[in-house]
Amino acid sequence: MKKFLLPLLFLCLFILESLFVQYVPSDLFGHNKIIAPHFLFTALLFLTIFVGRKPGIIYAAIFGLLFDIVYIEIIGIYLFLFPFVAYLASKILNILQNNFLVAMVITIVGNALLEIGAYEMDHLIHVTDIDFLTYLNLRFYPTLILNAIFVMIAGYPLKRLFEKHIEAIRAE
Amino acid sequence: MPQFFMNKRLIILLVSIIVLVALIGFSIRERSKLSWPEQFVKDTTGWVQSLVSKPTNYVAGFFENLQDLTNTYEENKELKSRIENLASLEAQVQELKNDNKELRDVLGEKKTLRDYEPLPATVIGRNPDRWHEMIIIDKGKLNGVEKNMAVVTATGLIGKVKSVTQFSSTVQLLSSMDPKNRISAIVQGKTNVYGLVEGYDSEKKLLQVKAIPSGAEIEKGQTVITSGLGDVFPKGLMIGKVVEVKQDQYGLNLTALVKPGADFYDIKTVIVTKRVMAQPVDTEASAGKEEEK
Repeated sequence: MKKFLLPLLFLCLFILESLFVQYVPSDLFGHNKIIAPHFLFTALLFLTIFVGRKPGIIYAAIFGLLFDIVYIEIIGIYLFLFPFVAYLASKILNILQNNFLVAMVITIVGNALLEIGAYEMDHLIHVTDIDFLTYLNLRFYPTLILNAIFVMIAGYPLKRLFEKHIEAIRAE
Repeated sequence: MPQFFMNKRLIILLVSIIVLVALIGFSIRERSKLSWPEQFVKDTTGWVQSLVSKPTNYVAGFFENLQDLTNTYEENKELKSRIENLASLEAQVQELKNDNKELRDVLGEKKTLRDYEPLPATVIGRNPDRWHEMIIIDKGKLNGVEKNMAVVTATGLIGKVKSVTQFSSTVQLLSSMDPKNRISAIVQGKTNVYGLVEGYDSEKKLLQVKAIPSGAEIEKGQTVITSGLGDVFPKGLMIGKVVEVKQDQYGLNLTALVKPGADFYDIKTVIVTKRVMAQPVDTEASAGKEEEK
């Protein structure tokens, strides 16, 4: 049962993101703003921070691939970005001390990196043609605010969950 | 520098970038269908999504009903004023329909570009990434959905089928930027003007209809519909209304900015249209295309 807990959690978030964009009104943060949820990725970063680098990167790669196949239909964008940012986050964590506040800040910065990385990649393959400044106003800031709110709400429950998970693994 | 190449992490990074480029290159090209692992994954997740989406649809519908109740009075007033014209309009439409049918019988043409078989479907997912505007619907190959079919809602065209798996399919919305995604359209006026729906202004939320001959007379408020030419789209699907007309980059053609009739954000159920009139010699046309490349 304990084994399936993490995949199930990530699968729920994976579907929740899709439901979020489908049902939450698009003008939540004012007219003409685009907000993209990165709930799944936030949880993956917390996994990397609190459980460990190796499971973090493995889960990031698996769910990145799933995300690419199901939603984007261009394989490679999130398959690369998810593990890459998770790796960077674990590297930064080595320098800074590991407490909850630092973890939240790292997660928000990680979300920002993911957003910009996705923009650059999509710009490169001509999925979008808006310039960087427009992108910042149209999409980057609102998205970051949304995900920062999610980090603040879900951060503590996720932390507790992962800590319990570690204890359960140690007990076995 | 041998040490440079000994660095394990650097090698991993380089190899993964090469793999990344190869994978993107593989998946971005024009594919007639998805590979079977992708189809399998999409079908499996599609099944889970459809399980989840039904109850959420129900809950969301309940709240929407509550919201509707609050402005019932206003709506009722407006609808009453509209209904007065409806009866006469209905009679007129009936008459025209009969006329049309008779004339067609005389000509001996039974099928038109307008006819299509509607196939209702429910939206079970949407791309959270928001760069590639796509939705996932719960009807697939087994229900008769095929690639490139037009997808509409009650208020207008929203996109076309991008890929099909056995039990679900992906619809690319008109609001996503894709230079390959062009739709032949008619701007309805005294004389019909043809153009191509190409691109979307995500800041103004308007569609761009390009390649309109520069002499054409287009006014604000004219309706834009699909032309049914050259594609698998049926004729006469509502696209939107003209908001603004401007010269294009080189001053040779006109570009019309069109406010889409359908809302691209609040989509719950859609209709996939299957054109009755067959596409002319599909295999030869596509074979010819391959050679040109």
